[in-house]
Amino acid sequence: MSEILENTNPVTDNGEQPASVEDRPATNRKPGQPFEIAVLALQNTTLFPETVVPLAVGRPRSVAAVEAALATEEKLLGCITVRAEVTSTNQDAGTADLYKVGTLTMIKRMERLGETMHIIAQGTDRIKVVEWKKDDPYLRAVVEILPEVEIKDPEEVEATKRNVQAMVQEALALLPGVPPEVRVAMLGSVEPVRLAYFLGSILNLGVEQEQKMLEADTADELLRLAHGYLARELEIIQLRSKIATEAQSEMDKSQRDYILRQQMKAIQKELGEDEGGEQAEAGLLRERLAKADLPEEVRTEAERELKRLEKLPSAAPDYHVIRTYLEYVLELPWLKSSEDKLDLKEARRILDEDHYGLEDVKERILEFLAVIKLRPDTKSPILCFVGPPGVGKTSLGRSIARALGRQFERMSLGGMRDEAELRGHRRTYIGSMPGRVIQSIRRAGVNNPVLMLDEIDKLGNDYRGDPSSALLEILDPQQNGTFRDHYLDLPFDLSRVFFIATANQLGPIPPPLRDRMEVIALAGYSDMEKLQIAKRYLLPRQIEENGLKSGQLTLSDAAIELLATRYTREAGVRQLERSIGSVARKVALRIAQAEVEAVSVDADDIHDYLGAPRFYPEQARKELPAGVATGMAWTEMGGEVLFIEATLLPGGRGLTITGQLGEVMQESARAAQSYLWSHANEFGINAEMFQNYGVHLHVPAGAIPKDGPSAGVTITAALASLYTGRRVRPDTAMTGEITLSGLVFPVGGLKEKILAAHRAGIRRILLPARNEADIEDLPEDVRKELQIVFVARISEVIDAALEVLVANPPPPPIVTSGHPDAVSRQSEPSQAQLTVKQG
Amino acid sequence: MLTVARRVRPSGRLWNPAADVYRSADGWVVKVDLAGICADDLEIAVYDSSLRIRGCRRDTFVRDGFSYQQMEITYSQFEKTIQFPCAIDQDSIAHEYSDGFLIVNLRCE
Repeated sequence: MSEILENTNPVTDNGEQPASVEDRPATNRKPGQPFEIAVLALQNTTLFPETVVPLAVGRPRSVAAVEAALATEEKLLGCITVRAEVTSTNQDAGTADLYKVGTLTMIKRMERLGETMHIIAQGTDRIKVVEWKKDDPYLRAVVEILPEVEIKDPEEVEATKRNVQAMVQEALALLPGVPPEVRVAMLGSVEPVRLAYFLGSILNLGVEQEQKMLEADTADELLRLAHGYLARELEIIQLRSKIATEAQSEMDKSQRDYILRQQMKAIQKELGEDEGGEQAEAGLLRERLAKADLPEEVRTEAERELKRLEKLPSAAPDYHVIRTYLEYVLELPWLKSSEDKLDLKEARRILDEDHYGLEDVKERILEFLAVIKLRPDTKSPILCFVGPPGVGKTSLGRSIARALGRQFERMSLGGMRDEAELRGHRRTYIGSMPGRVIQSIRRAGVNNPVLMLDEIDKLGNDYRGDPSSALLEILDPQQNGTFRDHYLDLPFDLSRVFFIATANQLGPIPPPLRDRMEVIALAGYSDMEKLQIAKRYLLPRQIEENGLKSGQLTLSDAAIELLATRYTREAGVRQLERSIGSVARKVALRIAQAEVEAVSVDADDIHDYLGAPRFYPEQARKELPAGVATGMAWTEMGGEVLFIEATLLPGGRGLTITGQLGEVMQESARAAQSYLWSHANEFGINAEMFQNYGVHLHVPAGAIPKDGPSAGVTITAALASLYTGRRVRPDTAMTGEITLSGLVFPVGGLKEKILAAHRAGIRRILLPARNEADIEDLPEDVRKELQIVFVARISEVIDAALEVLVANPPPPPIVTSGHPDAVSRQSEPSQAQLTVKQG
Repeated sequence: MLTVARRVRPSGRLWNPAADVYRSADGWVVKVDLAGICADDLEIAVYDSSLRIRGCRRDTFVRDGFSYQQMEITYSQFEKTIQFPCAIDQDSIAHEYSDGFLIVNLRCE
């Protein structure tokens, strides 16, 4: 109301603007007239003319100054700021510490609150100190009023003012909460100088810049300063606002998520799907944990994790990791084991029912059972079955589990390259899981299953680690009682697990690993055994699998034998089973078409069902030329018969060896030749032949690499036959390692070798004397048909293998000395040849 | 801008005494709230249709041994100008001082 009264005519509001009300200075002091007043030193702030400022005055000297001012009739007080460079604020400022220019103020209000005086001071004029009068008990100075700020270029001042106002507007848009009167004061029709001073007092520019503004003598300069300071301030405000907005939007998103989640919970609750969320889940886990039978260490760890889980919201990424982990821990059979069936007779019956033969293995299993019966806490053995494919290693494992009444779990190690697959990944990895061992245990549900590690010889390894090294711990009965999976990070007792590894070859298994296992070799089956297996297991199984009834298909023994020998070539019985399956399918077709009721298949019918025989096993040759001997080889597929061929090369040199022979085999060929050379006289060989003829040694099936020392005897026989011209007996096959001193050393794989030789029609076999014990492994029927000769020395081999008569006389030695006789000698029939023939 | 909280305000007039204006039978009566003014410090002038009153209030109450506990009365110069719809008869001005109010009687020309 007072504003209206001031400016408009209250009586006749005729729209005419009243004559402007002169805003006269509040004092009647004039510029240029010095006068003495009390001075208040201001710290860190500047008081501008044309502003009203509340001040709190506390220092005794300041209070004294204010009181002195109040004691005057006009209540005038000079306010002068302490220089910016004076930092100490505890000491009262001396006169030298003050600026020279300050503001004359009039005290409008005063109020005491305790020791502090609160005054409201109004700036009226700029003053300049002419002389300091005293500084105790308060500052006093003679001052004079400075002339009013002069406007030099009114247009420029107006333009700057408008710019300033535009910036103020921008700034105000970003600053909520500025009181309306302040807005009006800055944006209304305000005098430029007044606006500048007001900005100067609210921008918080710092004493130095504020003083600069106060000392500006022209409005032009004053506004330029205000403009510059405001521009900088505006930038800061904009930046702050931007930062604040960004932070806000981020907060908004998480807030929104939170709200949505709360809503979802509410909806679930309405639908009755609410299980109480994470709380209930944690509660459920706690219940399970309380019921679970756990070792103390495991329980402590699980409880620790559960506590962490309870503190996490279900949205936290760690929540699921911990939950999965806990569930895994709770599912593992830490202390749960199955009871072993300890009935030895029953176990024997089960083993016999599942497998034909394999006496060794069965006996080992029964021994173990007996030990468990006597000492229940015994550690389980670690077995390794080695044998060709299809001999029943895996199914034997299954059968052992059945005989013991244990759970059976199988894991294939073939091609595994990563150690972490066995031992798991640490929980810090995303998607980490326990290793295969622990997984198998969990599947088994007990801590004493039969765990089959299939194809242990086919473990790989690369830069990621070597799984076989991890197996070292797992398979060591001394260590595996506290097996630590990386994922679980808790010791699990594997000592009651019955490990069975299988392999086709022992070679690739690292020696330390091999050392931890009890190796049981499963040799290939003989034809006789195959016949029994086919009759007992394969045929009934195939009849059932192909939907036939027993009696609808019968296979004669001859037919099965034919399948085993001419349609398959293997140590095991997989192909044989497949062949029987083929026959069964074809029979099933005929029965389904109602052509016949039942079929009986004999050897003659096989051709109709399966076509021509696929294999013609290497048969004993009826006659061997000199220089050829029959040997026996062991392969993964069983045994084989092979022929070693040697021929003389007139004028050649040394020993040429072909047929993909490995180094060991090449060396035994060289040893054989050297032995014969050194004992040439003994065997009736003309020693010059070694010098004058080269020898080429070849082992057919040239594409297949061969190695090993066991062909030594055969090579010796072939070479001896070559040099002497006496043929090797075609019904005889041989094997054995030789030494340079003429001894014959034992070799391995005899059963397969002999079976193969028998299959090929060989009836006489030379074996190292020290292999005599192996003969017991041979099936009775085979052994009966064979004549086995044991040899201990090479001379015995030559006596036993070579025919007495010289059938193919060797050529005469060539004299290479360049003597003219050489030619004539060659043309003559050899004397030596004749001699030998007679011998 | 950030120190608006310092409660600095642009100053208005220091002291603007309140005034009532009455219409009388033959002119105007102006009553101004002007206590504690020494007659020597008061100046009343009329220009055509406006009345200007100005002067200064001083605190003459201060004695030795006094000090302020509280101060709310404004001591300063003041100036009050009131516009009228008609010209004022210069000679008709009469003023008196009653109970702290300044009463000015005016007549239209």
